[in-house]
Amino acid sequence: MMALIHSKNTIIKLGSVDLSTYVKSSEFARKADVHDVTTYGKADHVYSGGLGDGTFKMDGVYDSTATTGPRAAIEPLIGTEVVLTRQPEGTGSGKAQDVVDIIVTGYTESSPVADYVTWSMDAQLSDAVNSTAQSV
Amino acid sequence: MNLASVMDAISARLDTIAGLRCFAYPPGSVVPPAAVVGYPTTYGYDETYGRGVDRMSLPVVLVIGKVSDRSVRDQMAAYVSGSGTGSVKTVIEGGTYTAFDVVRVTGVELDTYTIGATDYLAAIFDLDILGKGA
Repeated sequence: MMALIHSKNTIIKLGSVDLSTYVKSSEFARKADVHDVTTYGKADHVYSGGLGDGTFKMDGVYDSTATTGPRAAIEPLIGTEVVLTRQPEGTGSGKAQDVVDIIVTGYTESSPVADYVTWSMDAQLSDAVNSTAQSV
Repeated sequence: MNLASVMDAISARLDTIAGLRCFAYPPGSVVPPAAVVGYPTTYGYDETYGRGVDRMSLPVVLVIGKVSDRSVRDQMAAYVSGSGTGSVKTVIEGGTYTAFDVVRVTGVELDTYTIGATDYLAAIFDLDILGKGA
């Protein structure tokens, strides 16, 4: 039976640090290369699938929590590899999960004068995504 | 956040302004000058995943005195000022709170309230409050 899933229960972890309660939005994008393998005699292009690829980004509310806040947890990871665990339906046996190495490519803090400090992070997926459902 | 604790904390902080009678909820009647912490105009859940952050807009109403008194105008000027010991914005934003994480006084509107047969000058401050969702 299909059911709509609300995003509010999404879990996002970098390594062992659960950042979920600081995250307002996240996007896990997977894609693949496409190769043109058209040969003479064809009237239309023919394509073949190539290597998988993907990116991840998230943003949220800045929190000064010393060791688990976004600044403390993410900023030192810029340019390095860390394991991303993403549970879009929340935690629970049989629920969806993606586990993949990512390279943190950017961390941005924004300070609009009329609102609270926010942050965002961009990352590049690296190697295969393990999308085996949770077995908690 | 616990709403009652948030309203208590704001009222307690306002109570540090000399001469104000402060109420942590709308009382049956007030004798100016008084500050009343009202109920939230909005209370938003799930600002972040996992019940991390909730957000509310809370009004604080100051009823100062007769709208026709010049001294009332001068008192009001101190309360709505962006700085000074009587500044509601400065006092509220300068507090240390455990009931929520952060508060910003985003603006104020002046209005006239009629109590009995008397018109009183009032200021309605808007507070933007963020705190833990769970």
